[in-house]
Amino acid sequence: MALLEIDNVVAGYGGGPDILTGVSVTINEGTSYCIVGPNGAGKSTLLRAIAGFLSPRSGEVRLDGAIMNSARPDQMLAAGVCFVPQDASLFPTMTVRENLVMGGYLINDRSLLRERLHTVFETFPALADRKSQNAGTLSGGEQQMVTLGRALMIEPRVVMIDEPSLGLAPMIADLIFEKIQGFKDLGITVVLVEQNAVKGLKAVEWGFVLDLGSLEFEGPADGILADHRIRELYLGKQLAPRESGS
Amino acid sequence: MQWVQVLVLGLLLGSVYAMMASGLTLLFGVMKVVNLAHAAFLLVASYVTYVLFENLALDPMVSLLVTMPLMFGLGVVLYLLLFPRLEDSPRYVEMTVLLTFGLALIVEGMLTFTFTGIFRSVRPEYASSAVRFGGLFMPTSQLYASVISFALLIGLWLVLRFSKTGTAIRATMQNRSAAQIVGVNVRRVSALAFGIGMALAGAAGSLLSFMFPFFPARHWQWIALLLALIVLGGMGSIKGAVIGALLLAVASSFVTVLAGPTWSPITFYLTLFLILLIRPQGLFGAKVRL
Repeated sequence: MALLEIDNVVAGYGGGPDILTGVSVTINEGTSYCIVGPNGAGKSTLLRAIAGFLSPRSGEVRLDGAIMNSARPDQMLAAGVCFVPQDASLFPTMTVRENLVMGGYLINDRSLLRERLHTVFETFPALADRKSQNAGTLSGGEQQMVTLGRALMIEPRVVMIDEPSLGLAPMIADLIFEKIQGFKDLGITVVLVEQNAVKGLKAVEWGFVLDLGSLEFEGPADGILADHRIRELYLGKQLAPRESGS
Repeated sequence: MQWVQVLVLGLLLGSVYAMMASGLTLLFGVMKVVNLAHAAFLLVASYVTYVLFENLALDPMVSLLVTMPLMFGLGVVLYLLLFPRLEDSPRYVEMTVLLTFGLALIVEGMLTFTFTGIFRSVRPEYASSAVRFGGLFMPTSQLYASVISFALLIGLWLVLRFSKTGTAIRATMQNRSAAQIVGVNVRRVSALAFGIGMALAGAAGSLLSFMFPFFPARHWQWIALLLALIVLGGMGSIKGAVIGALLLAVASSFVTVLAGPTWSPITFYLTLFLILLIRPQGLFGAKVRL
């Protein structure tokens, strides 16, 4: 069943040019997705447009068939669409626990909040050990875990994660991807944006290839990984990180 | 004993400054806007207090019940009317400085038009009396103003610390985009913060009306002083604003005694100058990345 339908969306920032030039994608409940493509393809912009941080200039964002073009971020979140941006957006002088509690800002039921906090600490035992530490003093990987844990607090229907492995050591990145794959068991639909296309696509079921603001190709993730033509045309750079230095 | 006396007078005045400054720094913390019209709106409250006192003989301390809600409402309306359209501007800081500077000019012009430029003051009975504790002498007006200011500061702290809205305000101050991500409606929070800041300016206006004579252009002096206080404390830090205000008020009251009242204002500007040279982020401010 279609959870999110992005229909011919055109979007950009301020008075600037269109970054998305007419993107159409469909996100089904229970499937996991990764959006890949070269730098400047509009991957992050697409997530921002879906999450309500950016209003589409034209086209439609539909959630369960209802048009959500002018919904604010807090309204999208309340509707179950959670966005995790790429710069670990934490509250630096709040503790890990306080950061997680902030993740449940929209929850008014205190016992439910405690229950969710318990679940998050079970999912991320490393955070339980550091719950009284200020989030600003954590390592990059731990901060990324806090942002993911914070997203879990409201048990969203879909969580859209922008560049979860950015700036992390490969081993830590693998651990983060493992946690993200575990979201599926919690009944959460995952949409990833990932520079490291191989890692991203291996972690999901379905891939979208974005270039120059529009959808170039979509299909099963393993199919994209196996398709040499697509790899060469759109993913060449990310598949050879050592050569490009990114 | 004389030094204790000077210290006490400094602290009394400092608590009023602290309340004025915390409103201004709250606004900066939430919206990254330096509201140059803060003191101009404070004077609006002074004049409202003046009119209520002259016509209805309303005690200026009671008129807080009028000026605070009035300024809160004005703050929310002004915010919603003027600021959201600047939000996406790449020149946000410059735009808001110009906007609030313009607001200050407009308010000053309207006050001058309505009340002329002559000095006014509100003179309830306690404005010219004093109380003694042991050997300490305290002007009644300053004592009252100080008690009310402290009560309001404690109220502000309670709201920020324990209410859901307060949590949202603190979260927005720490990281606006993170607050948005966890579902805080940052526009609503900004409007409320603007309202709260303005309500504190309103309270300060009512209290200052019986402590110092005022005229429409007086707000430039107040805003300059307030900016020194919040820069010393660290922009956006309420704790810093309170400590900065108490420190500077005490310092200036010592300067008054040692060098004469003419030199008292220089305490603020000299401190502003020195803090910008030595520690631009202030006592409790986070380092600002530009």
